[in-house]
Amino acid sequence: MDIMATPPRVLNSLASSSGVKARKFADRTATVVLWCMASSIILLLAAFIIYMFWIGARYLTPAFIFGLPAETSAGGGIGPEIYNSFYILILTLIFTVPIATAAGVYLQEYARPGRFRELVVFSAESLATVPSIVMGLFGLLVFVYLFKWKFTALGGALTLTLLNLPALMRVTQEALSSVPDSFREASMGIGATKWQTILRVVLPSAIGRMTTGIVLIAGRIFGETAALIFTAGLSVSTNSPYDINPFHTAETLAVHLWYTHTESIVPDVDRIGNGSALVLLIMVLVFNISARVGGRALSKRLTGRPS
Amino acid sequence: MIASIAQRAHRNERIALNVLRFAAYFVIFAMAVLLLYLAVEGTKTFFVDRFSLFSFLFSPTYDLDSNHPGAAIFIVGTLLVTVFAIAVGGPFGIAVGVFLSEIAPPRMALVLKPAIELMVGIPSVVYGWLGLVFLVPIIREHTSSASGFSLAGAGIVLAIMILPTVISLSEDAFTSLPQALREGSFALGATRFQTIVRVLLPSASTGLAVALILGIARAVGETLAIQLVIGNATAFPVNVFAPTATLTTVIVGQMPSATEGSLQEHALFSMAFLLLIIAMLLILVVRFALRKRS
Repeated sequence: MDIMATPPRVLNSLASSSGVKARKFADRTATVVLWCMASSIILLLAAFIIYMFWIGARYLTPAFIFGLPAETSAGGGIGPEIYNSFYILILTLIFTVPIATAAGVYLQEYARPGRFRELVVFSAESLATVPSIVMGLFGLLVFVYLFKWKFTALGGALTLTLLNLPALMRVTQEALSSVPDSFREASMGIGATKWQTILRVVLPSAIGRMTTGIVLIAGRIFGETAALIFTAGLSVSTNSPYDINPFHTAETLAVHLWYTHTESIVPDVDRIGNGSALVLLIMVLVFNISARVGGRALSKRLTGRPS
Repeated sequence: MIASIAQRAHRNERIALNVLRFAAYFVIFAMAVLLLYLAVEGTKTFFVDRFSLFSFLFSPTYDLDSNHPGAAIFIVGTLLVTVFAIAVGGPFGIAVGVFLSEIAPPRMALVLKPAIELMVGIPSVVYGWLGLVFLVPIIREHTSSASGFSLAGAGIVLAIMILPTVISLSEDAFTSLPQALREGSFALGATRFQTIVRVLLPSASTGLAVALILGIARAVGETLAIQLVIGNATAFPVNVFAPTATLTTVIVGQMPSATEGSLQEHALFSMAFLLLIIAMLLILVVRFALRKRS
């Protein structure tokens, strides 16, 4: 249509035609709907947390948090379970952090594109999608059946190491790739070898991001359940509730929450469940907040710049 | 003196490279051993106990007294909860991904992203517990379900659990699209919504497919969150409010009492191997899709 020949009245009606109005209306409606959906996630999470406090807060007495579990009677605590969760978490990190960091540094800084690199990446990706229950059965086969360790904290920690290795490798790679190449060039330009550059320049610059990632993964290890049921066991150590021997059984808090509901015969399942679930939730909150704050602080201290 | 420092640096360089390469080998080794070991244990049902693979996959009779561990019920159960979760959580997750990439002001993203990260961190057993104390009573009171334990409850819990995966991956899919696509579309007079639906969604389709597939992978392997709400009945669900069981829930429910070397144990390992195969197939699909795009 020749616009110049069109009378102004028609042009006006074109601009404000129902088509344009409808499109603008659809656009505005969609924006509102998407805002609502996104906000609903925050509301859902907030409601989730408030509800957990609502049903669990009254049980968080010192006797519950530090007390010993009871097998048949009411009133059991979760002290040893919390201890075991931290114990297995620390054991797991001792294995996972060095291996994952090394593999991540190798992939990001050394490996040239090719078959071997592809194979490492593919293995890591596959390992990352292995369901945690399947990893638990693998742990059962290796540590309980093959090595004849029975249910042990160490077997549980090694199983969790395999489970979390790929995630931590990715964290390392992402942290390393965030370090600008000019850092590496400057370091090698003044005569440092590649390894010296990585150790003294690249890793310190990446440590903030890495710490954030490690602490977030630590939160996940703390709450892991399915992989531990068949490797670390369903009861606390019989030697001592706060056992330091990695070759004894070590039921964690998350496993305790599941086991109390499914199998045990104590009469106050709801109290233990609601209380334990709340403690787990609080721990996850603590890990998430400290990941952000801690990573930023560490990065600032080591490099003088925020991550 | 200088020469010896250089020599030492050179030696350290070599040692470091070997240590790092060893770690990389370890990753391959771990995955290979896991695959082999589960393949051996997971096929004992067929090679040691002589139970047919066909019956294992398609027979709905899971009866250990008559040595007949058909897993069809659990396979269908896994399929149904996964479909339920992805049907609810998939579109929702993609919508929030679009929102984060195209609409959210920085301040909103600053709240939403940590919230999503927190959702990833919450242990699956806590999700399951909340489903048990909150969702199950609601379903019991408001539907035909007598116990409240149901496929729908498990599906809802799963849908929430896969949200973070779908959201962050679909957000990535949208943010990685070139800005020129948006500019071109706006210049033609399209509204933001039209741009999203007609230009960005089709362009990001591969990335969105990857987001959904990884959501599926998460749903298939999820165990305790489902186990606490699905009811663990060895039966096909007659409707969405009926109890049933999945591969993961039957493994975690029966493994503690299974004797080493028994048919029951072998069958449970076969189910674990099946889960592993499904997970690896999904990863292969993702790799294939991403390679095709690049």
